[in-house]
Amino acid sequence: MSKTINNVVCPICGCLCDDLEVTIENNEIVKMKNGCAVCEAKMVHGYKSEERILKPMIRKDGKLVSVSIDEAVKKAAQILTDAKYPLLFGWSSTVGEAQRIGVELAEELGATLDNCCSVCHGPSVMATQEIGIPAATLGQIRHRADLIVYWACNPWASHPRHVERYTAFTDGRFEGSEWKNYLQKLKADSGRKKIEMASKRIARVEPPIKPQVCFTGPPPPMLEHKPGRKMIVVDVRKTMTAEVADYFLQIEPNRDYDVIEALRCLVTDQELDVDKVGGIPVDTLRDVADAMMNCEFGVIYFGLGMTQSLGRFRNIEIAIALARDLNRKTKFIISPMRGHFNVTGANTVFAWQTGYPFALDFSQGYPQFNPGENTAVDLLKRGDNDATLIISADPAAHFPSVIMQNMLKHPLITINPDMNAISRLGDVVFPTQWCGIEYSGTAYRMDAVPITLKKVVEAPPGILTDEELLIRILEEVRAIKIKRGEPVGQTEAKFTHPNTTKTPPVNTAQKKPKRATKKKVA
Amino acid sequence: MTEILIKNGFVVDPKNKINCEKMDIAIKDNKIVKKVNDKNAQIIDASGLTVMAGGVDIHSHIAGAEVNTGRIIRPEDHYKDPVRKTPITRAGTGYSIPSTFVTGYRYAAMGYTSVFNGSIAPMKAKHAHEELNDIPLLDKGTYILTGDWWFVLENLAKGNIDECARLVAWLIHSTRGYAIKVVNPGGLESWGFGRNVHSIDDQVPNFCITPREIMRGLIKVNKKLNMPHTIHLHTNNLGVPGNYQTTLDTMKALEDLSTDGKPVAHITHVQFCSFKGENWRKFKSGAEDIAKYMNNHTHMTLDMGQVTFSDTTTMTADGPFEFSLYELGGHLKWVNSDVETESSGGIIPFHYKRNSPVSALQWSIGLELALLINDPWKIFMTTDHPNGGPFYDYPKVLAWLYSKKAREATLKKCHKSARKKSLLPSIDRELSLYEIAIMTRAGTAQALGLPNKGHLGVGADADVAIFNINPETLDIAQKYRTARKAFANAVYTLKDGIIVAKDGQIVNSQVPGRTIWVDAQTKDPCRIDDDMKRKFKEYWTIEYENYPVTDHYVKISDKLAIKASV
Amino acid sequence: MVTLTAIRTFNIPIQAPCITPENFADKTIAELKKLPLTEGNRNVTLGDLFKIEQSPTETPNIILNGDLSKVKRVGQAMKSGEIVINGNIGMHTGEKMAGGKIVVNGNAGGWTGSEMKKGAIEIHGDGGDYIASPYRGNDLGMKGGLITIDGNVGTDVGCHLKGGIIKIKGSAGRFLGYHMTDGVIYVEKDCDVRAGACMTGGKIVIGGALEILPSFTIDSVKPKVKVDDSTNIVGPFYVFLGDRSERGVGKIFANKVANPALKFYEKYL
Repeated sequence: MSKTINNVVCPICGCLCDDLEVTIENNEIVKMKNGCAVCEAKMVHGYKSEERILKPMIRKDGKLVSVSIDEAVKKAAQILTDAKYPLLFGWSSTVGEAQRIGVELAEELGATLDNCCSVCHGPSVMATQEIGIPAATLGQIRHRADLIVYWACNPWASHPRHVERYTAFTDGRFEGSEWKNYLQKLKADSGRKKIEMASKRIARVEPPIKPQVCFTGPPPPMLEHKPGRKMIVVDVRKTMTAEVADYFLQIEPNRDYDVIEALRCLVTDQELDVDKVGGIPVDTLRDVADAMMNCEFGVIYFGLGMTQSLGRFRNIEIAIALARDLNRKTKFIISPMRGHFNVTGANTVFAWQTGYPFALDFSQGYPQFNPGENTAVDLLKRGDNDATLIISADPAAHFPSVIMQNMLKHPLITINPDMNAISRLGDVVFPTQWCGIEYSGTAYRMDAVPITLKKVVEAPPGILTDEELLIRILEEVRAIKIKRGEPVGQTEAKFTHPNTTKTPPVNTAQKKPKRATKKKVA
Repeated sequence: MTEILIKNGFVVDPKNKINCEKMDIAIKDNKIVKKVNDKNAQIIDASGLTVMAGGVDIHSHIAGAEVNTGRIIRPEDHYKDPVRKTPITRAGTGYSIPSTFVTGYRYAAMGYTSVFNGSIAPMKAKHAHEELNDIPLLDKGTYILTGDWWFVLENLAKGNIDECARLVAWLIHSTRGYAIKVVNPGGLESWGFGRNVHSIDDQVPNFCITPREIMRGLIKVNKKLNMPHTIHLHTNNLGVPGNYQTTLDTMKALEDLSTDGKPVAHITHVQFCSFKGENWRKFKSGAEDIAKYMNNHTHMTLDMGQVTFSDTTTMTADGPFEFSLYELGGHLKWVNSDVETESSGGIIPFHYKRNSPVSALQWSIGLELALLINDPWKIFMTTDHPNGGPFYDYPKVLAWLYSKKAREATLKKCHKSARKKSLLPSIDRELSLYEIAIMTRAGTAQALGLPNKGHLGVGADADVAIFNINPETLDIAQKYRTARKAFANAVYTLKDGIIVAKDGQIVNSQVPGRTIWVDAQTKDPCRIDDDMKRKFKEYWTIEYENYPVTDHYVKISDKLAIKASV
Repeated sequence: MVTLTAIRTFNIPIQAPCITPENFADKTIAELKKLPLTEGNRNVTLGDLFKIEQSPTETPNIILNGDLSKVKRVGQAMKSGEIVINGNIGMHTGEKMAGGKIVVNGNAGGWTGSEMKKGAIEIHGDGGDYIASPYRGNDLGMKGGLITIDGNVGTDVGCHLKGGIIKIKGSAGRFLGYHMTDGVIYVEKDCDVRAGACMTGGKIVIGGALEILPSFTIDSVKPKVKVDDSTNIVGPFYVFLGDRSERGVGKIFANKVANPALKFYEKYL
């Protein structure tokens, strides 16, 4: 028996496309429509991985052995309460409801709390704290933008539907799609290539090797005359996105800051003493600056190429300053290309509960915030912490090895649906459900628009959701602390107002199980 | 079943015309009742204390995407005000935009029990509700930005009031909102391309409509839906010198819509809309003109938006205003946050300094308005938290209202513009406790259409605030500091018949408070056919099915079902 | 004088804002022992972590011995007196300091002298990142006082500098003097990229090699430059004005001899 569910939300990247059509057969996703290749890889194949963890495990004598959930929760709570400076890290691939409990757990433990954004777009958040940001939701770009700049990012690979759903290739109220133009260009290009190939074959001449690093092309004449939306890509190498763009600016690595500073000068009509910046002739930059000033509505999307290269949050700061300056001439927006589907949500949830978006330290009983001091990488590099909990992340695959070595000196608890690199290293390994596939919850899109992830299939029996699991750990932590005679926080009361009629849930699939029933699930 | 008897307090309950009478208030469960059994009831001895209904704040930005962005960009502001966890309360941070838990605690400590959230973009309503769920001890509601929604603009341009009403009902229902919020009508849409409207008769680009038509249309819609609150209006040209004229134009344009003498619109943070003078150098107070108009008309209510001289964060859906504020210079950070098809927004951290001529005059304009408008049922006390100052400054604002001495003390420290360019030094009026209770509770509850709030009559919600003010012995106008302290730390705050705060300290944080929202039931429900769905797809980047706020997002839901006449 | 000697090695960060001369004044050893601080999330007392000795000598007021690189916030908001640290010290040392002196005979962590108003900090070792820079999101940079560092420093030193002098005998990391509006930074050796970015006033003097941002313009060549009342550094120096993207008039003095790559600017003179 197969059924189709419409408008399913994709739990992969910051785009959170919510128009997927998923076909279910025997509690398995068998087909998916509208999604990109990345989405299909996870939603149709990836989540059924053979590496799926089905039982909680504890490392005994160096080997992971299956145990009951109660034993694993007890062990994890013991580790966390014994630690003087535990770190809770991850959070970007789980739902807001679980992140809420995460903050409560960190507060109860006096732990440090950090999310994956500290190794991706944390610098963007920090830049916002220094200078603010002129941002907009994605639809605003769809309806209005006639100049789209992708800076140091490659949405073609990382956010495959970004261009097609939100920017250049989408039809908005005031701006049309450039898809047809692109197809024509593609056809013309391939025709030209065919002719070139044919003539080469005839002449049997090897093609000249193109220079890879420095920009050598002519200034962009098309930016002035082309009607409709224009798309500029700035990157250190010619990516797939650059192939689609109307104009590609190849800058030297780690020179984003200098190029943007130069652009800022040009936008305010100042002359530069130099001829080239970041490998780009100033005349070319002047054309780009003109294109930026003369558009009706421009936008810069920036990626990790900017946040994690030399200069980090200062790069973003200066890019925001450029967008801000441009608002004196026209309308200009700048936005980060947030990666994981709910990394924005982690910042959002942490901020409303504590006032700070990431890099939190609760050791003083109140939140302290300082990236560079409380961020996971810096903390582990100094070897400050003495226990780690990783949830919905795989730092083992992404962190530098010296940092992983420091992490592994101390007990490690992991919460992940499948046996990824970090789970293999864990001392207590919890299984969990795939959020957005096996349970629902809230995620925040890259522009901070909240969208409810859907549950489409049932999880294997006995596996808890992130939220349920964290509540279990929190309760156990409180029990241990009470035994020790330490003060603990209150569990949220199940408060009912006698005079309030609680409307029955419309969609039971989206209803979270209540806390009172947690024990039964276990 | 709990019973409480508040004994021998001086009760101030303007709705029931009780002015400082010594009497008992009986509470059973979460309601005020006629009497309870003395023996079983918990007795609160309120002799020598003032008993009022729990405070009702009509306009305060406490939750939502905008507020949270404000939180994120101000670590330095939180840094100076950390809040330690206790076994009863959660940790967090305070100052201009406190974290959610701290918001609830600090409001409750001041005797407030209901707060209405200034504005949210409909598309981000889920976020606002998630935050509201995390604000304990308060009943909450939120206004929905509707004025620049494309569906509204299109239907009003065509004159389809009924269709527009059905769509608005759908929007309020799907965002679990409480009232229609209109911010700089037409201006937000214009800001999509970096422009603005500058009078109520300017054309909105691309939509063939003017701000006047939007406001009038939405008032008609509001009436057809029988909404409990009027439209909640943030006028055009807010924060621009000379804008008192726009405000007067706006009020005049809506005059004829009130047929029964009842208010049809609420102009919020009116202080920011009462500027006279052609530019910032010739900046003067326009409060007198506004007050004169208000004293002769009944079709509007206002709230102050008082400036309190603090390092705060301004945030509004009025994106173009925030940009013009940024352009004035001297600001480190500027946030703009446009929302497709619906709204825009902006944030700027702002320090109102006593020695700044503009800030000082803004301070006096707010007080002038509150004091020159004779009827306290027409103007309510707010700081437009956090725009004029954080809500913890309410006791300060009250002191300025009930004590000329307090005003004089501040005037002395202010820039001379506050004295020279406004009438404030010549105003002798000092508000009584009765008038204070109207401006903070009874009046706001009435304007919001909440029959069970803002008073202590039988059947009212058992939300009570008890202050250490003895009206017989304490002259609040003279000893304004004592009274100010009393308003900052309620002796008791009762929420739903439970003591949640005592002497300004939280003693019970486990009362989550309800989210009050309006379900305006139209005769024909809004038809969402395929054509409509296609439009949704075109207008928004999320699907129609994923747009509405589900019940999951409203922890304790209090639906106010009303029958619409359309 | 109070001498504190670490009893053991510290593996977990310790927050010790209580170690200031004001707080130690007129306290007996027994009282000092009870001063609260935190080791990770545990509440401990000074006596748990340090051996405390008192001697009648007046200055310095406090001496700390041992590897204290995990000890944070020593001398926070101190107003007078002197602290001498024999060993490395952790972050936020002398944060918001309003007077007095801190001497570090070792390396100092990040945010040393952050938001400092007055006083002096001497680091006879390397300095971390964000020395004399404000807390996140703030523009309250160092307002006055003197910081001298014998070794090298990390990135973002002297951000939003509003006054005072920072002297670095080694080399400096990138974004030196970011957004500074006044004050002087002197680096004897090289400086990493983007010195003086977004500066609108003040002086940066670099004795070694550096790179100039495109948003700076050459102003002149000067034979020497004054760092403070008693120090004149002999060049010659290229003088750059900027940061023009912020319409700034800050000055960067780049040693002519150490920077042959900047020779091409001479054509604009």
